[in-house]
Amino acid sequence: MRPAAGAPVLTVSALSKRFGSFLALERVDLSVRQGEVRAIIGPNGAGKSTLMNVLSGQLVPDSGSIVFAGQRLEGRPPYQLARRKVGRAFQISSTFRRMTIYENMLAAHNAAAGRWFSLHPGRLRNMRAAVMADLEEIGLAHLAEQVVEDVSHGDRKRLEFGMVLAGRPRLLLLDEPTAGMGLQERHALIDLVLRQVRERGVTLLFVEHDIDVVFRAADYITVMALGKVFAEGRPEQIAANVQVQEIYLGSR
Amino acid sequence: MNRDAPAAPPVAPPARDDPYRIRWLPVAAVGLVAASALLAGPPLIVFALTEVMIFALFATALNLLLSYSGMVSFGHAVYFGIAAYGVALSITRLGWPMWAGILAGPFVSAFFALVFGAFCVQLTAIYAAMLTLACSEVTFAVVFQWFELTRGESGISGHVPAMLGLAPGVYGLVVLAVTGASILALWRVVHSPLGLTIRAVGQNAARAAALGHSRRTVQLIAFVISGFFAGVAGTLFSVFHGNVFPDYLGTLITVNGLVMVLLGGLYNFSAGIYGAVLFKILDNLLAHYFQYWQLVIGLILMAVILVSPRGIGGAIQSLARRLPGGHR
Repeated sequence: MRPAAGAPVLTVSALSKRFGSFLALERVDLSVRQGEVRAIIGPNGAGKSTLMNVLSGQLVPDSGSIVFAGQRLEGRPPYQLARRKVGRAFQISSTFRRMTIYENMLAAHNAAAGRWFSLHPGRLRNMRAAVMADLEEIGLAHLAEQVVEDVSHGDRKRLEFGMVLAGRPRLLLLDEPTAGMGLQERHALIDLVLRQVRERGVTLLFVEHDIDVVFRAADYITVMALGKVFAEGRPEQIAANVQVQEIYLGSR
Repeated sequence: MNRDAPAAPPVAPPARDDPYRIRWLPVAAVGLVAASALLAGPPLIVFALTEVMIFALFATALNLLLSYSGMVSFGHAVYFGIAAYGVALSITRLGWPMWAGILAGPFVSAFFALVFGAFCVQLTAIYAAMLTLACSEVTFAVVFQWFELTRGESGISGHVPAMLGLAPGVYGLVVLAVTGASILALWRVVHSPLGLTIRAVGQNAARAAALGHSRRTVQLIAFVISGFFAGVAGTLFSVFHGNVFPDYLGTLITVNGLVMVLLGGLYNFSAGIYGAVLFKILDNLLAHYFQYWQLVIGLILMAVILVSPRGIGGAIQSLARRLPGGHR
């Protein structure tokens, strides 16, 4: 059995976002409990990525509210959300490509430590042990001195996930964490994500196309279609939902 | 692996060379060579070297933007020249003592960098670069045409004795000390937590924001630091000649600074130094032999960018790596 989730920590109410005449999100409601692993699925154009981008501040919603741990988040820029412990990984892994893996993780620690404006190189030197420990945890310690440009797609995804974790997020938003990866790599990454998330009690929202990964990971699933929440439920409920099968599983 | 065993502390890979440490040996060597050339060299060398050092600082300050912060300034001469006007006007118009006027120079630049930078960081990429150009054009026009204040094209002179009245070699030593300290200060900025933040924002603003950094704030800080040190260079230059003209904040100085950085090689801290030295050598040699020497510099720049996109600095680095005992 999966661990019991706590009280609702993220409440999204009537969230709407329009691009010209296209309604990408239409009054989306969402309630996620503390420590829950929530998958968001749906056919292309369902509004999943728009939802992620609004939740992480990349996009400003036209209306509606986002409350996380008692704080209103809607409309705040990404860097303010990061400081409020909302962590985010992008669909296309987003790292510092001319830096080494070590420097990438160092940059994440540097950001998380506050005092990023300090002029004391010693502060960075003192982070070495913690940075290496984090790289060890995500299985990249042996690549520490490699420049990101030179490592594989999967390792970059791993690195980005590790960098997000270094910020000690309380809410984690992952947009297709396993996109473009091979089957084995994919399961290894999702296992890593789940292990870290459960250990730290992080609330996780993720968009994913791979149904195997979704059913393997999620406590609860939200199905979106045409910018609306179409169905919600535990994995076995979603699997048994005939309408969901029609609009999503069947049409794959 | 036995999961119950206490986890061994992760072994850090051997630090191939601590990037945050200044390698004092080459720094001291360059300093010594420069100092002895200044003291013992013929006047021609002394003047050339003094100018090279000043432009090495200007280019290094510009390089903080180009290589690290993700910004391009197409009007950086403003922060070079406005310092010189700051010195001249605070002495002639405000009646400040000479030393106070000279010290004020770089702060005038930092102030302008703060004001213009605050506009420029509202935009990104080519739009921000165009705005830096616009800011510089406006400033140039004001300085050029506000005759009552700046005496326009005639410039201002006589407010400080050229080279402070020192012997050229001695003023050269002053320039060596100030540019040396300034470049080391910039090195420290780049390799500090602030520098890592600037590099992070410069390489990937979206990722940096997702880690909690505001692009605008960080880029503005970089812009002000760069403007300040460009102002140090401009102050030294204006005291060197004992005057100031609108050309000090004109396009030619901006372009020369950009060419120096590109010659030296992007993403290399020392690009400004390599570039300034090479530029001066080319400048002197080519002007001697060719009527259209600027055309030749342009061709050389194209060749460098095509053959070694990381410039002279990149070539030197990869050469050092191949030598026995070279790191990496």
